[in-house]
This record gives sequence, structure tokens and C-alpha cells, in this order.
Amino acid sequence: MTAMLPIITGIGSVSPYGHLAGLIPQCSPEPSAITAWTTSGLRRAFLVEPFHPASVVPGLKTRRLDRLSVWALVASSLAIQDAGIDLSQVDRSRIAVVFATGFGCVELTEAFYQSASANGWSGTDPITFPETLANAPASRVALHHDLRGPNLTVGCKSFAGESALIQAASLLRHGQADMAIVLAGDTLTQAVYEWYEAADLLSPACYNSDLLSTVGGFMPSEGVVALLLEPEGSRASRSYASLRSGRWAAGGEPRQIVRQMLGGAVPSLTICAGNGAPCASSTAACSARMIVGHDAASLPAQAVAAGLADTGALLHLVLALSGAPRSGLALMLGTSGDSGFAALLLELP
Amino acid sequence: MTDIHKTIVVTGIGVVSPYGIGLASLQAGLLSGKCCLEPTRDLYPGFAGTTARVSGLPLLPKGSGSHYSRSDRLAMEAARDAVANFDREEVSFMESGVVMANTVAGLSEIDPRIAQDPAAWYRHGGLLRAASYPVARVAASVAENLGISGPSCAVSVACASGAMAIALAANMLLDGAAPMILAGGSDALCPFTLSGFNSLQALDPGPCRPFDRNRKGLNLGEGSAVLVLETLAGAMARRANVLAVLRGWAMTNDASHPTAPQKQGDGLAVCMSRAMEMAEVGADEIGYVNAHGTGTPLNDIAEANAFQTAFRGRSHPVPVSSTKSYFGHCLGAAGALEAAIAIIAIRCGALFPTLRLTDPIESPGVDWLRGEIRRQPLPLAMSVSAGFGGSNAVLLFGSGCP
Repeated sequence: MTAMLPIITGIGSVSPYGHLAGLIPQCSPEPSAITAWTTSGLRRAFLVEPFHPASVVPGLKTRRLDRLSVWALVASSLAIQDAGIDLSQVDRSRIAVVFATGFGCVELTEAFYQSASANGWSGTDPITFPETLANAPASRVALHHDLRGPNLTVGCKSFAGESALIQAASLLRHGQADMAIVLAGDTLTQAVYEWYEAADLLSPACYNSDLLSTVGGFMPSEGVVALLLEPEGSRASRSYASLRSGRWAAGGEPRQIVRQMLGGAVPSLTICAGNGAPCASSTAACSARMIVGHDAASLPAQAVAAGLADTGALLHLVLALSGAPRSGLALMLGTSGDSGFAALLLELP
Repeated sequence: MTDIHKTIVVTGIGVVSPYGIGLASLQAGLLSGKCCLEPTRDLYPGFAGTTARVSGLPLLPKGSGSHYSRSDRLAMEAARDAVANFDREEVSFMESGVVMANTVAGLSEIDPRIAQDPAAWYRHGGLLRAASYPVARVAASVAENLGISGPSCAVSVACASGAMAIALAANMLLDGAAPMILAGGSDALCPFTLSGFNSLQALDPGPCRPFDRNRKGLNLGEGSAVLVLETLAGAMARRANVLAVLRGWAMTNDASHPTAPQKQGDGLAVCMSRAMEMAEVGADEIGYVNAHGTGTPLNDIAEANAFQTAFRGRSHPVPVSSTKSYFGHCLGAAGALEAAIAIIAIRCGALFPTLRLTDPIESPGVDWLRGEIRRQPLPLAMSVSAGFGGSNAVLLFGSGCP
């Protein structure tokens, strides 16, 4: 990486914590019983409470959009607001949008299949089809804010959020954009939940309200987090953190690479991002202990962040920043069995 | 002075297209002028249209454990083809990355019954099939299949995806994220996308006629192309054969409409200009443009307007064609296949005409290629892609001797 450090200057989120600009107040949301579809007995998950998007972003039109697109619009608007940017004063042809998702617009994809099932493939809905595309949320963000820079939607097994942040930083570094909105998220639908269930991935707590959500397995979640990324020194602005470097790989051993990234420095904060597993026993936590030893403070993953399998990293990062001692280096490390690892090295102000 | 650490070169190309497997079959098909589009009726009940299909895709060995979608299999075959002559024991190969584009991916494996009772569908064989659905799956399949361990990433930006995958891979190489990256796109024909484009009335029932006044829409095709990208320094260290140089790349968005391109093509024109700026070349130096050229009324007029703007001031009209007239629009694979075609054009000194272009739309700054193949030395070729959601991507390739 070169000397130019991309800094996070704005945060917006739509998550089980609510729809928020900036950091997330310390609290622990409870899983909710699923009511959006008929279930055979109790089924729980960390859900985004329904809200009226126009009450958060005045004038926002979201009719017939996938919830993922709606949340991306709201989260991006909150991040821009949080960063204090007046978009009319910047060159919007040089603002990028980088969106990470695991499943894309699965809600409307299911609706499209529903119409195919009901009417045959010859009778599907033309308005729904374009909104099923994985890049619909990112393009809706561009359309709403008139952002004409690079517009990307990426997926990365287990590390889509980290990957999006690294790709966005790369666009800034190479002068392909002056600013980037990085988003990551997914929605929970019946087909997704029941897939987790059929694959036997869910925590027993999904079926039993007496159990803590951290008990074994996986408690699914949903939401979108948006970060506004700007080059250091581009304007007088708040910095939540700057991204010093980032790496991810589909395999291999992270210890040597992460030690290289650290260059002998010891992070004051280590954030363990998992692939749905409880943090304390996660492979990320074990790797982190081997890399930085026990001296560094380790912030455990919160179940709600872990519940977004591929795209949880940004929510995880915001939760960590919200409760972190705010100075020095922070290492965010995610590992996922045979899927490799992702590491972000951040500098906290 | 060439900075060998900042020059991105192409050292391998793998292709699966309706012409068959391998770059040579694509090259021979284009040079012969053969059209692969044909009437199709069996893709779903009631469908009658024109598509281009890949036949002869090898079956996976039994007991491979995972379920791979057709898009996965197209991608894995193209990737294997791209590295057929590589030493797969080299560290630089084993640590290479993968950036693969797709829009269809595992949709081809999902049955509409999933929407009625997902649990029942999973119980009856859907569980394994649904595992191929996530956006990241095609890229992960390629990495797993080749046993490579660098960064793996999927790109899903509708029909601009394939070109964007190559652009992102180039950025990653400049960042030192991996010693080499396999970048491209893959998409299979499937009822979901055929039905979607049909519902939008975007399909030409007969073979498409890009840039013709009488064009009626697009045809869908399928395929995959994978380019091996690395820095010139890396290629020289390996004594690799350099097939082409990626001289410039750019990405923009129209921010105009969810599906239609901005009519004046402003965003696309900016994208072309930025790619030329990166390559430090003037508009006069571009010898051929492989256009997005879908054959839809809106795309082709916006694209023609973009050429007018981006190449304004050029001393002679810019030669342009759409090779979607040969084997349709391969969606997430289109940008990668067309990048391969631009490289073939450079290496063969052949400018491919648009098939069935008899009455071109009026665009004074454009030299619409039609009729016979034009033979001429071609130092620089541009490949243009655009997609739903207003995304644009432009790649600029030069001959293999920087």
C-alpha cells in the first residue's frame, strides 16, 4: 500500500440495532420470532424491524424494490449524512459505490420464481426482473444520489464485506474515484432461513427462547451497513478509522501474512470476525491469539454480526468501533475453515 | 519508459463459447464468419426464440462431492483452458487470485417450486443445488478446482460484469494482492434470465441485428472466458508468453435509469475517455472498438452517441462492430469473451464485422464494420461493456510488445 490512507468518515446502518447514522449505541438486541412466513413452531433470528424508509430519508421512493435495495438506500443516505457531505459540492462522477452481498436480492428473486410458478415462465413480471439482479441495490444507490463513478457489486465466500472495503480503497488509491460508499448486507427470507435449517447450520437457540443466541451453531441475521470512505486529507472531516492495509485469500495460512502486515507492531484492539461461529472458540480468535498473543485486547464477535455469513464484517467493524478504546492499531481478522481468511489493519484516531 | 511493475499483461486466455472449447475455436469461428445463433424451443415450455448454446461441455468426474451449476462448469473449463500450459506447481500459480463475473450463476439450478415450499424442495434434492446459488460461488469453484489460494472474488454487475472483473483484477495486481489473477466471466442460459428478458420484450425472436435501423432486440448466449493477468515483471520472471497488454481500464455509472442506458451515452463516453487517459493514448490511436452492441433499440443508440462524444475530434471515423451478432449476449461472460475477441483482433490483425448489419444507424463519427473481415495491423483495441443499473466498463488492449 502507498502512503495514502483511506479513512472512514461516515457510517450508516440498517440492522437489528435499528437504522442509525454513526456508531451504534452499546446494547444487545434480542432475537425475534419469525412471523413473515408460517413456521412449524418457534423460529428465531436477529431481524430488522419494519420501518417506513421515507420517514428516515425524506422523499425516498422504494415501492417494488427488494428490501436489500431499500436498506442500501437508507444506509447510504445515513452514511452521507453522518459524514456531513454536501453532494452538490462534490464531483459525483468520481464517487464510487462498492456493494458486497452473499445472496443478492433474494426476496424479489423468490417473488419472480413465485410468478413463474403461478403463471409459467412466459408470464413473469417485467418490473420485478431487473430488481432481482445482485447489483440492483448498488445501482439504486447511484441513481438516488446521482453517483456516476465506478459501481460494483462483489461477492466473496465468507469475506465479502472485507473484500468490498479493500476494493473500494483500491479505487481511491489508483485515482479511479475520489470517494466511495462501501456497503455490505443481506436479507433473510424463508428460502434462505430454511436452507440454513436444512443444512443443519442453525443454533438450538433459533428454536428455543430460553437459550442464549450464542449457544452453538448460527443465529441468522440481516441488514446493510454503509461506510463512507475518503482519502486522508481530502477535506476536514471526522475519522472513525483509517485503513492501513487489507488482505484476503481463499486459502493458506494467515499468520505469516498478518505478521507481515503488522510489521512488528502490536494492535491495541483485535476484532475477530467469524463465519457465523461464536467468537470465543472461533478459528479467527485462535489465529488472532497466535498472531498477537494474549496482550492485545480482543473484542468478541457479537452474535448479531456473526449472523450475516458473508457480509457481516462491516457491521462487526462498526460494533467494534462503537465500543473500542479509540486509539492505536486495530486488527480485524476473519477466518473460515477451508475458505481462507481476511485481515484488515486499521488505525484508530 | 515502461514500468514493468505497473504494466498489466495477459499471459493466458481460456474460452468456452458456442464455437467450442478453446481460444482457437473462438478465433476460427469468428474468422469463418459462422453465426452460432439458432432457433430454440426447449429452454422452457412456451419459449420460442433464438439463442446460442455451448455443446460438448465435459461432464465432471463422478464423486466430485459438490454440486456445480452450469455457470460453474463453464467457468472451471475456461479456467483450466487458460492455464493449460502453466506450471501449476509454481508458487506464483498456487498463490494466484480469481475474480469471476456472473449474473446467472446458480439460478440455473433453482426450481420455481422453491418459492412455494423451500423446505420440501430442499428435502427433494434442492439442498445441494441451492449451494451453488451465492454470488461468490463461481469464483470459489474456479479457485477450488485449480487448487489456488489467493484472493477470490465474484463480480455481479449485470452485463458489465465480465469487463469489470478484469478491471478489478488489474487493480488488485497493482496492489500486490496476488502474483497473478485469473479474471473473467461465466454465465449459462437458463429459464430465469430468458423469461426475464422476454418479459421486458428485449428479445429479438430471430438472429439479432446490432446497430441496424431495423434491430429488434438481443439474443442470449452462454459461455465463459478467463484471462490470466499478471504484471509484466511477473511475466518476465516466469518467461511467460505475453499475449496482450491491458493498457487502460475504467468504470462509470450513468445514474440515469434502472434498466435503460442514458440516451446520450454520457456515462459510457466518460468511461471510454478515462480508459484512454489511463493508457495515455489519443482517440486517433484506437484501431477497433468491440462494442457492447446488444441489438436493443435503446442500447445501440446510446452507445452510438457515446462513440460520437468520446471520439470527437478524431481524424477518421472509429471502426466499430458487435460480435454479439455471432453468438448472442452471454451476460456476465460477455465482457470477458469480448476482451478475448479484442485480443484475437489485435493478434490476427482482423476487424470483425457485425453480422446482418445492412442499414446502420446514422452516426457520422463511426465506421460501422460490416460485410467482409477487414485485415489491417491493429496496435490498440477497445472493448466496451454496459449493463442494467447503468454500469459501464471499458478495457483497452494493446499488442503483446510493450
